[in-house]
Amino acid sequence: MIKVTGLRKTFTSHKKEPGLMGSVKALVKREAVLKEALKSVNLEIQQGEIVGLIGANGAGKTTLVKILAGIVHPTSGDATVLGFRPWERDNNYRKQMCLIMGQKNQVWWDLPALDSFLLLKEIYQIDDARYKYNLAFLAETLMVQDQLKTQVRKLSLGERMKIELMAALLHDPKVIFLDEPTIGLDISAQKAVRNFMKTYQREKRPITILTSHYMEDIKELCPRIVIIKEGSFVYDGSLSDVQKMLGDEKVLSVTTEEKTFKVHVPRAELSVKTQEILSSNNVIDLNIQDPSIEDIIESIMRFGVGHS
Amino acid sequence: MNWWPHVVSLEFRKILVFRTEFWVTFLGQSLVQLVIARSLWTAIFEQQNVSEINGFTLPMLTLYYVIVPIGSRILTGENLGFLSREIYEGTFTRYLLYPLSWFQYKTLTYFTYSLFYAFQLMIFFVGYKFYLNGGMSLFEFGNLFLGIGLFLISSLTYLLISMAVELLSLWADNIWSLMVMLRFFSNFLGGALIPLAFFPKEAQVILSYTPFPNLISLPARTMMGLTSGQEIFQGLLVIGFWAVILALIVNLLWQRGQKKYTGVGI
Repeated sequence: MIKVTGLRKTFTSHKKEPGLMGSVKALVKREAVLKEALKSVNLEIQQGEIVGLIGANGAGKTTLVKILAGIVHPTSGDATVLGFRPWERDNNYRKQMCLIMGQKNQVWWDLPALDSFLLLKEIYQIDDARYKYNLAFLAETLMVQDQLKTQVRKLSLGERMKIELMAALLHDPKVIFLDEPTIGLDISAQKAVRNFMKTYQREKRPITILTSHYMEDIKELCPRIVIIKEGSFVYDGSLSDVQKMLGDEKVLSVTTEEKTFKVHVPRAELSVKTQEILSSNNVIDLNIQDPSIEDIIESIMRFGVGHS
Repeated sequence: MNWWPHVVSLEFRKILVFRTEFWVTFLGQSLVQLVIARSLWTAIFEQQNVSEINGFTLPMLTLYYVIVPIGSRILTGENLGFLSREIYEGTFTRYLLYPLSWFQYKTLTYFTYSLFYAFQLMIFFVGYKFYLNGGMSLFEFGNLFLGIGLFLISSLTYLLISMAVELLSLWADNIWSLMVMLRFFSNFLGGALIPLAFFPKEAQVILSYTPFPNLISLPARTMMGLTSGQEIFQGLLVIGFWAVILALIVNLLWQRGQKKYTGVGI
């Protein structure tokens, strides 16, 4: 399991004024800026769970994943994954986890995927039978049997992502960190990756933490979500409960001659508010809907749980 | 360590994957450097009207310049920035995720390139000797292998020097100029630009306590049959001493620096 207690991480960066003078000044004196990427967060995830980590850019999602994957040291607090402190980088921990990043390649770019897989087989000490079985299972499920002997750099983005998934899962990790796995993929490739992850999660039951900006990924894969805002968790619970949070609200989508906007309105005030909008604007179109998950999460990310 | 031969094999495949790049590196670079050095020194010998400068005849100097450009590539192994570029781009993350030692992995990849250049040096050396003398004696073959061995040992010491500099990128993002300076100074002080025999005597004495002359000049002169057993032993002692000091520095830098690694770009 994953257990995170009071985990904090601060980064130091340097401010530079724009323009040439700013660059010259920065040569002599720089202003250090301390950014608290994680503010004492707590989390527990059980074996077999898949948790969606949601937040705006810079909210701290990737920092948390980097700490749990052992890439980055925390400033304070503690975390254990399968009983190991990730940043101590015990080989027994690293043999049981993987990190898949949608924007970074881990397989060797200039070589066919099979060459990289053979090296990974030795690095992770995968026995022949398990290697053959996993290779066949992953290649078949991801439908990339014909791409394994092609130089990775010559594959399409979607094919490369599938190869990355294969490389990361060859050793049957018990913990999977998926950072934006569908970023930049077309719709059918996104769907293929999602379907694959569903099948994999059902069959192998790893702990999975998924960060994604695509709500489709979250909706299809994650029964539990954690919403992170400016380094703090503002929601940790089931995805279905999120929908209930705004159960007594309706969303008015209004299109006027000037603009389109959305208004969240309590059910009791629906009739009054609708008349008010119709009388005070040149309304072209008006739609009354239940709030979508995207609306609710956006609302939580902007205003917190209490205001949603 | 079952993965060691696979890493070496993988790196060799990376070297061989681009045909044009391979042949330019293997033949082009060294031939161009040789022609430039040969032309320059021929002009100097003709202008001064001498048959020997600082103990070097023109054929000896030519042989020296067959050896040192490739020899310095044996030393520098993988490309400049082999660590700092990966730290800067965040691809260094790969070695932190895999259940292996990044130090062992990078040493192996570095050393694979050194082995490739060692093979290249052998081909050029034997080719030149056959062109000049029509063959090689057993004694010359012995010197060739002794020199290549010294170059390979030296490359591990130079790897530690490079690591000590490249790990600084954990504190300062861009250290490109430092690495270029290091390469220039190690080539200059190691005798890759001009033989150390052309340096003032006092400078030669001071330099003998640093690793630099033993990295390039010592193996090159050994290949030419110009060194004694005692000189080789002393050289090995000096680079061994520096290797221990540098290994301690690299370990200290890594222990402190890894806490600063942020895996940028991911």
